[in-house]
Amino acid sequence: MSLFLVVLTYFAYVFIIAMYVVKAIKIARLPLHLRWELYPVIYEPKSKYGSGFQEDEKGWRKSQGKKLRKGILYLLKENLRFNDYFKSNRGYWLVLFPWHIGFILIVAFHILCFFGALVIIAGNPVTANSVYVIGKIFYYCILITGVFSFIAGAFGSIGLILKRQSDKNLKAFATPQNYFNYIFTLIVFLSGLYAWIFADPTFAQYRDFWRGLLTLSPVSVEPATAVHIILFSLFLVYLPFTRSMHYITKFFAFFWVRWDDRPNFRGSKVERNITGLLNKPVTWSAPHIKSGRTWAEITAEEKYHEKTS
Amino acid sequence: MKKHLKLTDISKDGDEQLDEINIDELVPLPPPYDKGEELPGIKQLTDDQRERLVCNLDGVVSYAALPKPANKEEEEKYVGQFIAGLKKLLSKENNWTFLQPLLLSIDYCARCQTCNDACPVYLASGEKDFYRPTYRSEIFRRIINKYIKPAGKLRAKLGGGDIELNWATISRLYELSYRCNLCRRCAQSCPMGVDNALITRELRKLFSQEFGWAPKELHEKGTVLQLEVGSPTGLRPNVAIDNLKFLDEEFTESTGIRVETPWDKEGADVLLIHSAGDIISFPESVIAFTILCNAAGVNWTLSSEVGGYDGVNYGLFYDDVQLAKVAVRHVQIARKLRVKKIVMGECGHEHKALITVADRLLTGDLIIPRESVMTFLEDIVFSGKIKFDPTKNNFPVTLHDPCNVVRNLGIVEPQRRILRYLCPQFREMTPHGVDNYCCGGGGGLSVMSDVNFTDWKVNVSGRMKFKQILEAFADRLGPEVGKYVCAPCLNCKLQLRDLFKYYGAREKSGIIYGGLAELIVNAMVEIKKPFINWEEEQ
Repeated sequence: MSLFLVVLTYFAYVFIIAMYVVKAIKIARLPLHLRWELYPVIYEPKSKYGSGFQEDEKGWRKSQGKKLRKGILYLLKENLRFNDYFKSNRGYWLVLFPWHIGFILIVAFHILCFFGALVIIAGNPVTANSVYVIGKIFYYCILITGVFSFIAGAFGSIGLILKRQSDKNLKAFATPQNYFNYIFTLIVFLSGLYAWIFADPTFAQYRDFWRGLLTLSPVSVEPATAVHIILFSLFLVYLPFTRSMHYITKFFAFFWVRWDDRPNFRGSKVERNITGLLNKPVTWSAPHIKSGRTWAEITAEEKYHEKTS
Repeated sequence: MKKHLKLTDISKDGDEQLDEINIDELVPLPPPYDKGEELPGIKQLTDDQRERLVCNLDGVVSYAALPKPANKEEEEKYVGQFIAGLKKLLSKENNWTFLQPLLLSIDYCARCQTCNDACPVYLASGEKDFYRPTYRSEIFRRIINKYIKPAGKLRAKLGGGDIELNWATISRLYELSYRCNLCRRCAQSCPMGVDNALITRELRKLFSQEFGWAPKELHEKGTVLQLEVGSPTGLRPNVAIDNLKFLDEEFTESTGIRVETPWDKEGADVLLIHSAGDIISFPESVIAFTILCNAAGVNWTLSSEVGGYDGVNYGLFYDDVQLAKVAVRHVQIARKLRVKKIVMGECGHEHKALITVADRLLTGDLIIPRESVMTFLEDIVFSGKIKFDPTKNNFPVTLHDPCNVVRNLGIVEPQRRILRYLCPQFREMTPHGVDNYCCGGGGGLSVMSDVNFTDWKVNVSGRMKFKQILEAFADRLGPEVGKYVCAPCLNCKLQLRDLFKYYGAREKSGIIYGGLAELIVNAMVEIKKPFINWEEEQ
């Protein structure tokens, strides 16, 4: 059993990372698209009132560059606070926010367990009365993130089921997979809560499991903790088949579409990209397309070379 | 009683109307516009029209020529075409232009419905289910999942919400794609970055580029006519020149100030591309530019090349190929004239099409600087070369922001700086700037008028705009005070023309509309007579 838990955990982490990387690469390798930005572009200097660089008459060809830091900070804050939902859809936010906080904290919990295990391996016990401050810090952080994630996540899961059922607008668009997701996450969070209350009140077993995981010396845990470990691993394997990746794709959607106001100028990488794309063939069937030609050939077509009257 | 639609209803009862628009359910307007029963509403189709036309959505027809399948085989052919079109939309060759934004919007919607409250059509309609930004998108998404993705049909059966692709679905999706202004308020409100307006446009593209179905005003009498003759209005180059000559002479005679519009001046600093619709319907806007450019000493020109005197590009609304053809045509003309830059006329979608969207269709010497008319006019106004007397504009003025200039292009402040300087009674609408409401004619709808479509535009899509115009003037809503809605966009003006005529805004409230250049000229010290003609404006 102990070995099974170790193998399953490793598999789950490798699987989810690989799947996310493959998906991200697929999106990243899609061709450059036409500009379709939407204002305000958050990293533009005058974004406060929605203005972009086109307001500067001479600025049209200046590459403003990506104000990466400002954009990332904005999205990270949004991912943590859900401000947009808070402002525009408060009822939904009340259940969506705890659900997502549950995820964020459960991820933080496992990251802390990983580093906590390293601390233990380094010879510093992670306990409430550890002689090392770092041991105490990890002890309390793991405890707090774990407990809060289980409670918030369970509350959010139940809340979302009820919300989707009671709100006719949401209900009309809900799929069985939505409900399956909520129930599955509810079980994962509740299993963690159960294990904490009845089997592992200080997460000592969990920390020890992670130490065994990293040193490849499996340790046995109580059945309740084992169930949670199995469920969480299955949850990780399942995640890539859901829309969970929107945490990541949101960055793509904002940076590569909504905020992508990079101008095209001669000799630029953008221009080189476009030159290649215009040589792609067009096979649309409508009569006006006259397919079989490339984009470049179609757009260069001139019906009239001279003035007509 | 309000009907609640399921997503799967789209494919049921093919010839039946899915739902109807009830005037009593529309968002209320303030007095004296609150008596809906006094207005004609949306014309009901006759039995003959119901027999001949495809009217299975909301009782409104945007495209009378939509061909009904004659038999089951033809219906299956349409289904096959639709699936073929979907595959092309998802291919790098045929849709590199929007593939990445499309996939990011298709795959990652959280179905939270947050965007619905941002949509002026949905809100104005009294929250009709099929006008939700998410309704057509979710159906489109489920069709892709079912008919394109591996094991899609099995997953659709297991997953519920199975959408059947048949004539009812195809024809209703077609009509639904033209119940959206592409204003992108929904996209702006989406915390995930999903763009339902983009999905709507992709649907329109599928119909146009695969089936050859598009509103005649946008395609046959739109981009096709523009590329062949020079303008969707049918205005030919020599007639455009004659019209401008006449305007020049008329203004010179009436004011004693000589103006002359330059044509085809090689090496000019600026190629100004008006919309030909302005030349025909709003000539005061065109002559106002001539007055301002000449007074400011701008080295500028118009072009009489085919397409060079009309900046509209309806391809932006429905077809990437047509968009590219028209945009390239515009810059080819600029290159031939060897101008330093192209300045857009007062036309929102011209701005969006040529400044940003087409930016990535141009290479080599076709990459010519393009500038917004807002910054261009701002430079003229604040250059110090023209004297202004703002008291000449001492009447209530509000600004309608064209979506394609603000939310879609990020040009918000220049036009406001001008109005704050030249119009003492300038007041903002709520909301405004990048949060504005569309006029209701966006996405090409303003030029569409088939069957009873105009009724829908004035009752539904333009309702939120009309409401906020009235609210902006709420302190002086009576007809005794003349009020001006500055709408620096041809398509917005066309929509306002229909709106104001339908509601009698001029007679009941003294509200007229016009462009920005006219307000600027009206404030010029040198022009003694009022430039804005309150009597003839409508």
